[in-house]
Amino acid sequence: MIELALHLVVLIKVVPDGKEVFVDPVTFTLNRSMATNIINPADENALEAALQIKDQTDAKVTVMTMAPPFAEPFLMECMSRGADEAVLISDRAVAGSDTYPTSLTVAAAIKKMGDVDIVFAGEKTSDSSTGHVGPGVAEFIGAELASYSRKVTYENGYVTAERELENGIEEVRIPTPAVVTILTDSNDPRRATLRKKIDAMKRGIITWSLADINIPADWVGLRSSPTVVKKMLPFPRKDRKGEKIEKEKIPELIDNLVKSGVIRVEAE
Amino acid sequence: MSEFDAIVVGGGPAGSSAAMRLASAGHNVLLVEKADPPGSKNVSGGVLWGNDLEAVIPDWQKTAPVERYVKAKGVGFLTKDSNIGLEFRSSLFDKNRAGHMVLRAKLDQWLVKKAKDMGAMVASGITVDRVAFDKGKAIGVEQDGDLITSDCVILAEGANPRVAIDSGLREPLNDKDVAIGVKEVIKLSEKTVNERFNLRDKEGFAGEYVLGFLPDQVEAGGFLYTNKETISAGVVISMKHLRENDRTYSFDIIEQFLEHPAIAPLVDGGSVEEYSAHMVQEGGIERVPKLFGNGYMIAGDAAGFSFSNGLVLQGMNYAIASGIAAADTLIEAKKGNGVSEESLAGYRKRLLDSYVLKDLYNFRGIDEVTWGKLPHRAIPNALEHIMKGLFIEQGVPKKHLYQLMTEALGESGIRTSDAVLEGYRMLRRM
Repeated sequence: MIELALHLVVLIKVVPDGKEVFVDPVTFTLNRSMATNIINPADENALEAALQIKDQTDAKVTVMTMAPPFAEPFLMECMSRGADEAVLISDRAVAGSDTYPTSLTVAAAIKKMGDVDIVFAGEKTSDSSTGHVGPGVAEFIGAELASYSRKVTYENGYVTAERELENGIEEVRIPTPAVVTILTDSNDPRRATLRKKIDAMKRGIITWSLADINIPADWVGLRSSPTVVKKMLPFPRKDRKGEKIEKEKIPELIDNLVKSGVIRVEAE
Repeated sequence: MSEFDAIVVGGGPAGSSAAMRLASAGHNVLLVEKADPPGSKNVSGGVLWGNDLEAVIPDWQKTAPVERYVKAKGVGFLTKDSNIGLEFRSSLFDKNRAGHMVLRAKLDQWLVKKAKDMGAMVASGITVDRVAFDKGKAIGVEQDGDLITSDCVILAEGANPRVAIDSGLREPLNDKDVAIGVKEVIKLSEKTVNERFNLRDKEGFAGEYVLGFLPDQVEAGGFLYTNKETISAGVVISMKHLRENDRTYSFDIIEQFLEHPAIAPLVDGGSVEEYSAHMVQEGGIERVPKLFGNGYMIAGDAAGFSFSNGLVLQGMNYAIASGIAAADTLIEAKKGNGVSEESLAGYRKRLLDSYVLKDLYNFRGIDEVTWGKLPHRAIPNALEHIMKGLFIEQGVPKKHLYQLMTEALGESGIRTSDAVLEGYRMLRRM
């Protein structure tokens, strides 16, 4: 029996590096101006999970994002790591979209592709943490969903996913088409290689507008987004003790840490 | 048939210049840079003497991301209490603003973008493993098990030429060949920089110092360059001394430099924006490896093209000039009978005809006089003695300058006969 090549789609989002984002103490909005952009960390793990299946099975990996053209180098990076093609959904009309129209739009693009077996997404994005888009896409394309997964395998039309729950690990087996959302740090993303990077630059990126995926402009954007962010507050500041320990006092410090139960000394 | 006419390893001034020259001559060139974005792994001070850049970017003076131009150049000998210095502040610098303080994170990114605009393919964030050879000819590079082919490989990977070493194209570096540079970028404000260094508009100050006050006979030099609203300050410490002396730490020496009574007021109140350390090539013709072979050339710091005579410390200009020379050699070879060891021999000839190898030949052995007790202890101490005698009134009969100088030699800590001999050698070699 000849098995047709699997088609895996990985959804990514370009986010400001969380370490460089802070809540403006005056306006209570997120200040991202100092931040550099990165691929959402969980999405890197989602890509790696897809590539691991490609390592085992004949598969095509498409990486996709909905963003302005600044996201192109990040799609390139994904191809440099092993994705076969990259799709950028870029349209002025989507600006301000929340997770509802985003899921709808991404689902439309997946439907356009027609032959998608598994969709991978990060469990959540580091800049908004809703975790909506993966499950939303599953709903809109009518696929099974395995969320919060840390390990994914594929065999004969079924996806097996280890889901990390509060009390333990649940292993689920669902038929394709399936959507799997991947936990942050659940694997070790591979690095780009020169060969793949050259090939990626030669292939380029596919750009779709809303018209290309048959989504009317009034289905997306700020006005078609039900979410309203009412306000944002910074965490209350915790002042640390900030004690400076001299070299000679290290044994004393260790004693104190043992006494307060922070660390434990075990006999060799 | 190779995939590329040339693969350039390294997106610093040498590599980008080579790539720009090749791409604008219509060649199919791949530029591979390990840092992403390019420049983010660079630590250089530094001052760009960019005359050669004109050949690849005619309007660089107007468009390059430079901080300030060199309006004043200082050299100082530091003792525990004093800075005995010489400053050349001149409107002669205004006419041809060739020297510019740069922050390499910005400059390298700009140069790489220029190369891309001119048609080079740029792969950043990728570390090449080695040069691939077939029957003695370089046929491309290997990366993560893949072979990428090219007619010629230009190695321009900087002060730590790992690819050249791993490919057997040059000897590993010895302690004697390198020093450790440690640098801080200290944020002040444009106004404060202007006031403290007596500068206006885009004027800048570049200072080099001998740290004659360090304990344990440690030898190090310091530098201070003004950027627009920051100061790049750092030290260069001989690797030999770091290795021999367990108590010497590079971070400690930069602190001692910045806390020196003559330096501290200049950086006072600033916040450290960046802290970095890197190898610095000592330069010198003795350390220049075989510069080319069948299918490859080595340019910039990777080829040991840096210059230091104690008064100036340069590298970027040699990098740019050698990168362009490598590109021109390849362009000529491709027009003629193709790439071979013979056709690439023109690279060495071009460098010999230019200041790149001329400087290195003319100043051979310079490191023997720029490191050592004479410049690092005797001169600072002697100068301080003379200055003290001349300028600090002590209510005692005054001495003649000659008398002070003789005394100073006695104070210098090395034998008079040695000092005279060493001093003579030093002047000759500088």
